[in-house]
Amino acid sequence: MRRSAPDASLDRREFLHLCALATGALAPGIAVSSASAQTPKKGGTLRVGFYLEASTMDPHLSGSKVDRQIYHNIYEPLLTLDVKLGIKPGLAESWQQLEPKILILKLRKGVKFQDGTDFNAEVVRFNFNRMKTEPKSVRKGEVASIESVDVVDPYTVKLNLRRPDAALLATLTDRAGMMVSPKVIQERGAELERNAKGAGTGPFEFVEWIKDDHLLIKRNESYWNKHGGPYLDRVRYRPIPDDTVKLQSLQAGEIDVIDYVQPRDVAAVRADKNLVELDVPSLAAFAYQLNQTRPPFNVKALRQAVAYAIDLDQIVKGVWLNVGVPANGPVPPTSWAYDKSIPAIKRDLAKAKAKLAEGGKPSGFPFTITTANIPINVQEAEVIQAQLAEVGIQAKIKLVDAATQLSDGNSKNFDMISYQWSGRPDPDGNTYQFFKTTPGTSLNWSGISNPQIDALLDKTREVSNQAERKKLYSELTKLLQEELPMIYIVHPIEPKAFSPKVQGYEPIPDGMMRFKEVWLK
Amino acid sequence: MLVLVTAGVFALIHLTPGDPIDVMMAESVDDSVKANLRRELGLDQPIYVQYAAWMGRLLRGDLGRSIRNGEPVIENVSRRIRPSVQLAALAMAVSLLVATPLGILSAARRNTSVDRVGTTFALFGICMPNFLLALLLIFCFGVKLRWLPISGYLDPLEDGWPGLRSLVLPALTLGLALAAVVTRTLRSSMLEALGEDYVRTARAKGLSEWRVIRGHVLKNALIPVVTVLGLQLGTLIGGAVITEYVFALPGVGRLVVDAVFARDYPLVQGVVLLIAIGFILSNLAVDLLYGWIDPRIRYR
Repeated sequence: MRRSAPDASLDRREFLHLCALATGALAPGIAVSSASAQTPKKGGTLRVGFYLEASTMDPHLSGSKVDRQIYHNIYEPLLTLDVKLGIKPGLAESWQQLEPKILILKLRKGVKFQDGTDFNAEVVRFNFNRMKTEPKSVRKGEVASIESVDVVDPYTVKLNLRRPDAALLATLTDRAGMMVSPKVIQERGAELERNAKGAGTGPFEFVEWIKDDHLLIKRNESYWNKHGGPYLDRVRYRPIPDDTVKLQSLQAGEIDVIDYVQPRDVAAVRADKNLVELDVPSLAAFAYQLNQTRPPFNVKALRQAVAYAIDLDQIVKGVWLNVGVPANGPVPPTSWAYDKSIPAIKRDLAKAKAKLAEGGKPSGFPFTITTANIPINVQEAEVIQAQLAEVGIQAKIKLVDAATQLSDGNSKNFDMISYQWSGRPDPDGNTYQFFKTTPGTSLNWSGISNPQIDALLDKTREVSNQAERKKLYSELTKLLQEELPMIYIVHPIEPKAFSPKVQGYEPIPDGMMRFKEVWLK
Repeated sequence: MLVLVTAGVFALIHLTPGDPIDVMMAESVDDSVKANLRRELGLDQPIYVQYAAWMGRLLRGDLGRSIRNGEPVIENVSRRIRPSVQLAALAMAVSLLVATPLGILSAARRNTSVDRVGTTFALFGICMPNFLLALLLIFCFGVKLRWLPISGYLDPLEDGWPGLRSLVLPALTLGLALAAVVTRTLRSSMLEALGEDYVRTARAKGLSEWRVIRGHVLKNALIPVVTVLGLQLGTLIGGAVITEYVFALPGVGRLVVDAVFARDYPLVQGVVLLIAIGFILSNLAVDLLYGWIDPRIRYR
């Protein structure tokens, strides 16, 4: 059976309404896409400001979000996402799941890499093998369910799976589905990390990367898809680490797009008539992990006491300035699996006190919140600290840099630690690795090991019917609200800002900026 | 001295919590991949073995390779040193252009309105945080007047005028703060020299005030100023982190801070060693300058 795009629980109107509700007004930025009703014209250089520089041009070795932003313009995944997170054909024009452990992909014909070589089934097999065997591959976990890849004919591949994996299709919409020219990999080897000339099939091709200065891509004149763009001659990415300066560069006309507007700047950007702001709901879930392997949070009642003492509405309003919505769990409102009937945990001081008594600490207890030394994280931790103090819980704040945070998390050296996850299109990416009992390193920093949760997580991978999966995720969300390995705070919105001359940008909730249809007025 | 610096930096960066492999592979949960990489980079060895190996390579002139981008440390630094040196030179020029007349006038016209302007400027320059001055300059000259570019770097030696323009705001940010320090130092050392007997003698000889200042006071007041400038030069090259960060300049300061955040041990060690060498050389230059300025302290 051919699987069509999933039936998203939010339609576009609801989706935009959600943004409007979250930000208090209909975002003027929507004009960016509606203005594309005008006739697009070719030409121009789009100048993009990012907060940091790319780390590598090899999608199989990449672990950075900025890299993905660039890849989605020079490489193409086998499958793609639409604005409702539905799965659309990409380099694979259709897919069939003959049985739970076999996925057939029919590939697009007539696609060439920018180095002139053909894209075909052998290429797909080569890429998956590389992701699975290359020693430095960061994609191993994502393609772990693929046992082997058979070439059925030059444009058909069969993926033999180790176990049923309902999340695999969504995984193939990002780096794990991106196809790199085998010729480039074989001839250039490690140089691909710095130079992706000819390596992709995407609408733009790599030109140069002057480290610490800029990365330049240009229109792929022989792009296979002749409908619509690419219109831009070039896209120039620049790293500007300071958010204020990045915004000022946009205001001064030095750049045309910025990838993220800090919540504190959103109101000013909206008020600026020379800028267009666009709220893009994300897949992200920002939360705290609670360490269950040691006191005090090895006691469930104490985890619950903390959750009941925190006022999410106040945090989202006061710290996030409503650039986001309170979270009821790991699944974001943009996902088809989001269950809006489950409310976020409400503050209830009486319940919090009762839970403290149940946990044997009626007068409260001390513990440490570990969080990144970034202004908004610090503010959030301080608000939580004040809220917890009202029931006698004394939270101490430990500010760390990202490396220390990772090492504290991996070694379970924390009581409560912030975790900001950018999210994945399939809810599996926001849940499995955080809550499944796993030996060794995983994102399950809380150390939760709950047979009921494990069984639910496995089942969400085995069942392919989306409505059924949604029910399982609802069940999981409720169970997580009870067990509390993590306290979810906010599903943030990713506001982006543009010069008014930028037209045709289509916001997809994965936050990636695809410029194929973008043009300059 | 350098050995002490290397040992100190090595110990500090290795004792800081955090692991370069974790940072590099934050999204990967594959333990075997991480373990392989750790072995490949020698990070599984005890710290003294790693230090000995690093020192061994260093003695052969090899600073090692960055863990993050795999490129030799020296290549990383050589890419970044040019903007840093250009920025330091321009900032130094700005500070001298502002501080020399202001310091001299403040001292020569002590307790007049000129002096008050000079000391107020110095007070502001010293008190105002670097990033605030940078943001104010960006707001005025970049956003409102649009005279100068806000961020990014072009090489003045290759791109000429646009390159120079790209360094004006950062050089002003660093230069004005430095000018404040130099103005104060120059003023106080000039005031001290103005009270000396040889100044009274020069005046008694009937020399004009300007000639007294130029020929007798200024030369004697320069020693503390040169000391300050020499110490600041090292700081400007390796430590202009905030200015480089705000103006998105690819300098050495940002390189070392990014390397610390990524726990890129070889890069941190290599850059700090080079900065230390830079400091030692600039101090040596200052010592040699003393002798040139004041023959009484010439080395024999």
